[in-house]
Amino acid sequence: MNYEQTLGRLCALSGPSGFEGEAARAAAELLRPLTDEVYFTRTGSVVGVRRCGREKARRLLLDAHLDEIGLIVTGHEEGFLRFAALGGVDPRMLPDREVVLLADPPVYGVVACMPPHIQTAEDMDKSLPVKDLVMDAGLSREEAERRIPVGTPAVYRGGCAPLGEQLLCGKALDDRAGFAVLLDALERLQGEKLGVDLYVLGSTQEETHSSGAVTAAYEIAPHLCVAVDVTHGDSPDASKNETFPLGGGPVIGVGPNCARLLSDRLKQLAREEDIPCQIEVMAGSSGTNAWPIQISREGVATAVLSVPERYMHTPVETVCRQDLENAARLLAALVRSLGEEAERC
Amino acid sequence: MLNALKQLCLLNGVSGDEDEVRRYLIGRAEPHASRLSTDALGNLIVLKKGRRSAGNRVMLCAHMDEVGVIVTRITEEGFLKFDFVGGVDRRVAVGKPVVIGPNRVPGVIGLKAVHLTGREERKKAPKTDSLYLDIGAKDKKSAEERVALGDYGAFVCEPEEFGEGLFKARAIDDRVGCAVMLKLLEEELPLDVTFAFTAQEEVGTRGAFGAAFSVTPEIALVLETTTAADLPGVESHRRVCAPGRGPVISYMDGASIYDRELFETLCRLSEKNGIPWQTKEYIAGGNDARTIQRTKAGVRVAALSAAVRYLHAPAGVGSTADFENMLKLTRLFLAEIAERSE
Repeated sequence: MNYEQTLGRLCALSGPSGFEGEAARAAAELLRPLTDEVYFTRTGSVVGVRRCGREKARRLLLDAHLDEIGLIVTGHEEGFLRFAALGGVDPRMLPDREVVLLADPPVYGVVACMPPHIQTAEDMDKSLPVKDLVMDAGLSREEAERRIPVGTPAVYRGGCAPLGEQLLCGKALDDRAGFAVLLDALERLQGEKLGVDLYVLGSTQEETHSSGAVTAAYEIAPHLCVAVDVTHGDSPDASKNETFPLGGGPVIGVGPNCARLLSDRLKQLAREEDIPCQIEVMAGSSGTNAWPIQISREGVATAVLSVPERYMHTPVETVCRQDLENAARLLAALVRSLGEEAERC
Repeated sequence: MLNALKQLCLLNGVSGDEDEVRRYLIGRAEPHASRLSTDALGNLIVLKKGRRSAGNRVMLCAHMDEVGVIVTRITEEGFLKFDFVGGVDRRVAVGKPVVIGPNRVPGVIGLKAVHLTGREERKKAPKTDSLYLDIGAKDKKSAEERVALGDYGAFVCEPEEFGEGLFKARAIDDRVGCAVMLKLLEEELPLDVTFAFTAQEEVGTRGAFGAAFSVTPEIALVLETTTAADLPGVESHRRVCAPGRGPVISYMDGASIYDRELFETLCRLSEKNGIPWQTKEYIAGGNDARTIQRTKAGVRVAALSAAVRYLHAPAGVGSTADFENMLKLTRLFLAEIAERSE
């Protein structure tokens, strides 16, 4: 897997929660050569299926979400646009931020800010909430209303590019990086005989209500599931107790959201295959799709496999390529290990 | 002119590191210059002879530099601490890409995820000394292989047309002044004009001291940008000016009271020639005029500026019609001064 290339392509696409069309179509295209069947769910998620050929085989669901955080226009004022957040947007990222408004055709915009010359030091000490901000598309009031109706979503402008030798930096790596890991795992399993039916899900609306994963999990009815997402990576301003070093390996979740048989299996495989890994203890919700999927239908044995990511929910999210590769290696090892005995899971 | 402006806005020239901009300007100005020199502060001074011999009667001035950052320390973990160069509201820097040093090493100004902040912490803008640049280095040694203390960092923004008749770029302040001057350098001029492309305006109009001293003009017209704050929610008296309403002719700002007669001349020339104009409706900011005005026994100064939104931030927005009208009005101004000299 060429992560730079794949993520360069995937992250440049727009897919805020509820508006994943563009990203989902690209995801489907990438899944097609690696799976037997690709389809879209009613809520816009993409599913790629690789069957093992055995009757009534167990179903393993691998999930990564395709949506990214974004903004949505709520009103017009003097040609500027009022907006709300789609998902967990950090308002501190917004002043003078370039955005793409997903109108037809798309329009570039900038989140407006005041020049320092006419602000006081106290003004500049405050972070501004979303409700006090507007977007500027450089349009008159009439044109703004015509071209950018209320309800138009927007995303940060940009894609993903290398930062130093090992890191990749950009928007939407949460969780397109996770989706790229799933593709990498599929590539590693190509031509191999599987012991389970493999369902690879690119889910929608994780950042808002997990609606894509909830509905897809019902439809697929998996026995086992691994949600591949990002977790907080280390940075100089964050506590070491809350973060995981980039390059330290994928992070295996442990706690009520993680079936012990799966988390133990992941830990054991990492040891056997000499894959560096880290452990994240999650006392409650994992904050990933594994949380709602776990209680789908009669219940699902879920695991959480994360990639450390710096600056989560910013336009400069940063991950380490080796962590992605190692996450894919570990996932592939897990799939291989689920032979006949998957029946007992 | 817009093409030259785009070119200029792709160049990096944080105050004290104007080489790239100066080199470009020298290349463009040289074929048209009667005399061209640089000085100890890094200013580029170009004399172009016109139809009338006028010696040092009139000087046009625009600054080459822009606001940015400078690397002050490299941490053991390979992150870069920095200071801002020039007046930057640190809130516009958070989470932005920056290119650092002569090799344009890509970096980003990081900030821990919002999930890891407390309620009170979120309400405050992070302090400058808590900010850092991430260049993806694994440790200090690996960072030192790519950047050095004192390397300058410039913001990143694609220069392009924007919305209806607007233009978005980094460093429109003051590459637009440079672009207007380049265009005039290519033209036949009504009188001798000295073009001063100054350094270090953003850190205290430093270059202008040397430039004004060596040129000592009678009249100086500063071609600049100024703070448009025409946003919803801003009280009308603090909106200052707005892109698209014509060049801003200043009577006063935070650093100078302009020569009244020159101010009135510029207003009259605009009116007479059907060029829209506006003035600043809020006294703030300042530019090279303050230094030029107080040089030796004094210089009569005027300023003509493009109203630019999001000044001193990575993505600024100005009006292309305003830029063109700045050029037209400067041309008319030179003709008027030439006529007076007859």
